[in-house]
Amino acid sequence: MIELQSVRKEYKGGIVALDGVDLKLLEGELVVLRGVSGSGKSSILSLIAGLSKPTTGEVIVDKKRISKLADHFSTLYRRENIGFIFQKYNLIPTLSVQENILLPLVPQNLPKKELESRLQRELINFNIESKRDVMVRNLSGGEQQRCAIARANINNPKIILADEPTANLDEKLSLEFIKLIKEMKSQSRTIVIATHDPLFFDLACVDRVITVKNGKLL
Amino acid sequence: MTKGFNFYLLEYTFKHIIRNGFKNLFLTVVMTLLVALLASTFFLSNALKLEYTKKIQNTPDIIITDTKAMRETLIDENLVSDLLSINGVSLALPRVYGAYYFSKADTIFKVIGVDEFETYPDKSLNALLLKNTLDENSMLVSKSVAKILKENYYDSYFNFVNADGTLKKVIIDKTFESKNSFREEYLIVMPKCTAKEIFSYPSSMVTDIAVMVANGEEIGFIAKKIETLLPNAKVNIKEDLLVEYENRINFKSGFFLTIFIISFFTYFVIIYDKISGLSSEEKREVGILKAIGWRVSDILNAKLYEGLIISLSAYVIGIIIAFIYVYILGAPLLKSIFLNAISLLDDCELLFRVDYETLALLFFLSVPLYIAATIIPSWSVATHEADEVMR
Repeated sequence: MIELQSVRKEYKGGIVALDGVDLKLLEGELVVLRGVSGSGKSSILSLIAGLSKPTTGEVIVDKKRISKLADHFSTLYRRENIGFIFQKYNLIPTLSVQENILLPLVPQNLPKKELESRLQRELINFNIESKRDVMVRNLSGGEQQRCAIARANINNPKIILADEPTANLDEKLSLEFIKLIKEMKSQSRTIVIATHDPLFFDLACVDRVITVKNGKLL
Repeated sequence: MTKGFNFYLLEYTFKHIIRNGFKNLFLTVVMTLLVALLASTFFLSNALKLEYTKKIQNTPDIIITDTKAMRETLIDENLVSDLLSINGVSLALPRVYGAYYFSKADTIFKVIGVDEFETYPDKSLNALLLKNTLDENSMLVSKSVAKILKENYYDSYFNFVNADGTLKKVIIDKTFESKNSFREEYLIVMPKCTAKEIFSYPSSMVTDIAVMVANGEEIGFIAKKIETLLPNAKVNIKEDLLVEYENRINFKSGFFLTIFIISFFTYFVIIYDKISGLSSEEKREVGILKAIGWRVSDILNAKLYEGLIISLSAYVIGIIIAFIYVYILGAPLLKSIFLNAISLLDDCELLFRVDYETLALLFFLSVPLYIAATIIPSWSVATHEADEVMR
């Protein structure tokens, strides 16, 4: 389903994040990318999400060469296929929980009923219904993360990408997150988690753990 | 996806504006004040233009005064027959008028000398004379003058102090409704001989001679003929007066230019600040929106609404403030500064006229420019890769 072919990613200033990466992920698979900070894990997620383009090589998702898509189509691809959980959640702090969750749907101009039903589903699924109207900046770390996951899930994406999802959480909240991930996997989503948290490495639900080091897969 | 106008995007924009409450409120207030200041100046200037255009309609085609040592002085009324001999001159009218300073009230009266057998270019003056007959020692005064005289215990007459220091008692025959326009509020109408006595004019001398020309196209030509006939005379034509007023009132005048420059400088500082780039918070937000599936066009639409809401509110509120300030409150402070700056000291009514040019000029200077300054920095950020923007 997801394929990276001889991918090289260079950032400004000649920093090489990925160098000749070949990777194949199957539909419904839960894959953990492990590695230290700066190893290139986040760059892989970014390329799969179409947030950036490889310097050389190809990124293919569902037989579509997304690395060749123009910005407009790459955004539409992301809107329809990707749910991204960022390390720092990337919520808009001055918006409420429901406003943050609904943000990906704003440009789609959906009927109000559908918006409300999707919102309600996410609020219940991620147990943040009581925080619906609270400003995100007033939430705890765990609540912010649940809000970020709900936002990533509101479009029913086929692929969930999570970048260091437990970096800012204590063990209890990390275990809660794992529970949520298990639920998503049970819905046949393809999930890629970039982390250096050992909690993920021995989980039964994880299909593969891939080590990334110095921009290469080991 | 539903077609049609996206109210969610508009709602998001409103929330974005409110979230940056202080900054946006400050920008809106400053822009509103700038629009209000410029619109007030334009409205005031236009109202004065309208006023003097009306005033000039009653002005003779040509006004002739004598000059001595390059100063305007009295002219001999016997020249009237010479002027009437010029082909095309339909009327040559010797006029006596002047300003009388009433020191007790610190007020200047305008005194006009009339002759009941003469016809005047000013229609309202003719109408006034048709209704009233004046004898040598009586006068008609405007209600404003009557009020001031009454306050100083002159109920039925007034003692003028002549230019030679003697006193001249003149009876108040009637009062009339004063026109609240240029130099006409404090008006006194009396026989020419009485006015001459008060101003101590020699008997054959008058203030000026007003000339009317039958064919308006020939005014310039006849003015040249008069200049040839009377080489020492100063010949003013109606059009010159119009140009002189315009030059004083329109934006070329220093006062107006100063307001214009200050307003535009302030406005361009705002525009420069807007266009010079987004804050790191704003950049991050654009990156987040792209990452969660907003197209560049969605982001730019939101920015378009933001610019439109702020600039259009500032424009509309600014115009309303200017309208109230100029036409309802009578432009306090600004009017007196303006009138002093153009040496038109008297009070006047500000006549209302919808000035589409001014409204359009201010609209194009404020709304599209601000929208562009809001969109361009966001466009330059949004066209980068989302990953790069968020980093």
